Amino acid sequence: MNPAVGVLALLLVAVATALIGFYGLRVSRTTGDFYVASRTVRPWWNASAIGGEYLSAASFLGVAGLILVSGTDALWFPIGYTAGYLMLLLFVAAPLRRSGAYTIPDFTEARLDSPGARRVTSALVVVVGWFYIVPQLQGAGLTIRITTGLPAWSGAVAVVVVVCLTVVAGGMRSITFVQAFQYWLKLTALAVPAAFILVHLAGTGRSFPDSAAVYTAALDPQGPASLYRTLSLVIALLFGTLGLPHVLVRFYTNPDGRSARRTTLIVLGLLSVFYLFPTIYGALARAFAPDLAAGGQADAAVLLLPGRLVPGPAGDALTALVVAGAFAAFLSTTSGLVVSLAGVVSQDLFGGSVKGFRTAAVLSAAVPLLVALSTDSGALAGSVGLVFAFTASTICPMLLLGIWWRGLTPAGAVAGMSAGALLCGGAILIGAQVAPAGPVHELLAQPAAWTVPAAFAVMVSVSRATKGQSPAAVTRIMTRLHAPERTY
Amino acid sequence: MTGAGEQDPSGTSSPAAAVPAAPVPAAARPARVRVTAPSPSARERSRRLAAAGPRDAAEQTEAGEVFIRSLIRSQLRLAVVVAGGFLLILLGFPVLLSVAPAVGAIPVFGIPFSWLLLGLGIYPVIGLSAWLYIRSAARNEDTYRDLSEER
Repeated sequence: MNPAVGVLALLLVAVATALIGFYGLRVSRTTGDFYVASRTVRPWWNASAIGGEYLSAASFLGVAGLILVSGTDALWFPIGYTAGYLMLLLFVAAPLRRSGAYTIPDFTEARLDSPGARRVTSALVVVVGWFYIVPQLQGAGLTIRITTGLPAWSGAVAVVVVVCLTVVAGGMRSITFVQAFQYWLKLTALAVPAAFILVHLAGTGRSFPDSAAVYTAALDPQGPASLYRTLSLVIALLFGTLGLPHVLVRFYTNPDGRSARRTTLIVLGLLSVFYLFPTIYGALARAFAPDLAAGGQADAAVLLLPGRLVPGPAGDALTALVVAGAFAAFLSTTSGLVVSLAGVVSQDLFGGSVKGFRTAAVLSAAVPLLVALSTDSGALAGSVGLVFAFTASTICPMLLLGIWWRGLTPAGAVAGMSAGALLCGGAILIGAQVAPAGPVHELLAQPAAWTVPAAFAVMVSVSRATKGQSPAAVTRIMTRLHAPERTY
Repeated sequence: MTGAGEQDPSGTSSPAAAVPAAPVPAAARPARVRVTAPSPSARERSRRLAAAGPRDAAEQTEAGEVFIRSLIRSQLRLAVVVAGGFLLILLGFPVLLSVAPAVGAIPVFGIPFSWLLLGLGIYPVIGLSAWLYIRSAARNEDTYRDLSEER
């Protein structure tokens, strides 16, 4: 592959991101603008921005790679990523917007009137954010290595530098524009090459190999996933989306509860359209590039397919487009996470000033960079799936019970979140050491099916055992969360 | 997008509204000014959320409390019903495919049925569930508003 193609695509995306960030800076004036874009972003913009932020390295590269390796079992990843937003719409979107809080820790503190519960939530948000950023940076390293031949660390460093510059310069207002632009860039970067490849294959009369072999070939050394594994994965993805810090902070930019719902409906449409394409790439890779699965380069399938299937300059141009889309994915998810982490860290450590926000942003990006540089990458979609399991076991129960159950107490919330964090985090750490076979490994490697109910159970029972806020205060807070706004 | 300085339209006493956000016309932009975050103390922030705003008028009477409790109950029931229905359909897919693997292998336009089902067929179900939910949730809220304004 021509290395100049990759470098050029990377530069174009970085410059476009910086330009839109600069444009956003000129309209961002107050601290309110800086944090949540003053809550006046229109649903279509907001939905595009949510899509742009959410579709990470795992979606852009990882899903196609997993489909290449595991076939139909991997189709559950995009389903879970999308249906997670349905759960978010049903249980969280409007009440969270109406809570008027900036971040998840703000919500915890407001709902429970407890600085202690706030601190535990903040710590969890930071952990989730860091471990979600790591796969993005590893994806960037992989992309740089495959497309330009440069060492992997340079990709991770490039992403962190661009993100820090945009976030420090513009805050969320500009981030909203950047993210919205990047959703459409990502969609184009997958859709156009996919259409080209399909037309080209039809034109050259190169037939799709025997369909039964393509769709059912066993390329996964671990064999097909068990029913438990599939169920546990779906639980993690459905309920993990509720608690993702960078997703939640987006809902505060809606003007009111109803527009928060409308935004979510548009997001569902955008995600459904997007995930069609990783599926197509996965199937194409099974047909024409099964060697990538054996060579441990499945995550690079999306990057390599256009060049392999379309010869000459057309193939180079399509590759450049895909590389640009991949970098848009790394940049948008990383900057979304950095913004939300910086919001949490700066409010808790630096008193919430703009300068503190900038310091916190650099801190939030530097730590995952160190982790990414010192560890090897696993399958991208797999490691992101574990982050979902962790959020589903910690932040999700606190949000759901906080919004819908009057009886939640600070002690219950802290106990439930800690129990979920210990069980899920422990299972993931131990699971990595256990030999990959047998029912014990299954339970540890995909723990959401038992850690999520356990966290709920601990939260409810400890809440029952401890005395809560005064009923009048709870009623006032519940009214604020659920009653519709006066003005539409 | 020129809404940079708009107040929170819900008129609530949220942190954003606490910042004196002067409207900034794009044409005549003033010099950049340093602003500070609301940064309210823990208690203050909670009290602000719990404070009586325009939306909280309804809850200050016993009838108001009844209305809000019934709104929360009906919204929760609606969400659980939609989620349950969707999950039943969702879980029906892997069960169907594991009970009758032959069904999944039937080719439709050259693509096995299981791939079409999981790669394509589930997404309209997600969208439809969301649309039904949004309509009903808004209706519940309208009922609540009618009740609490009638008094």
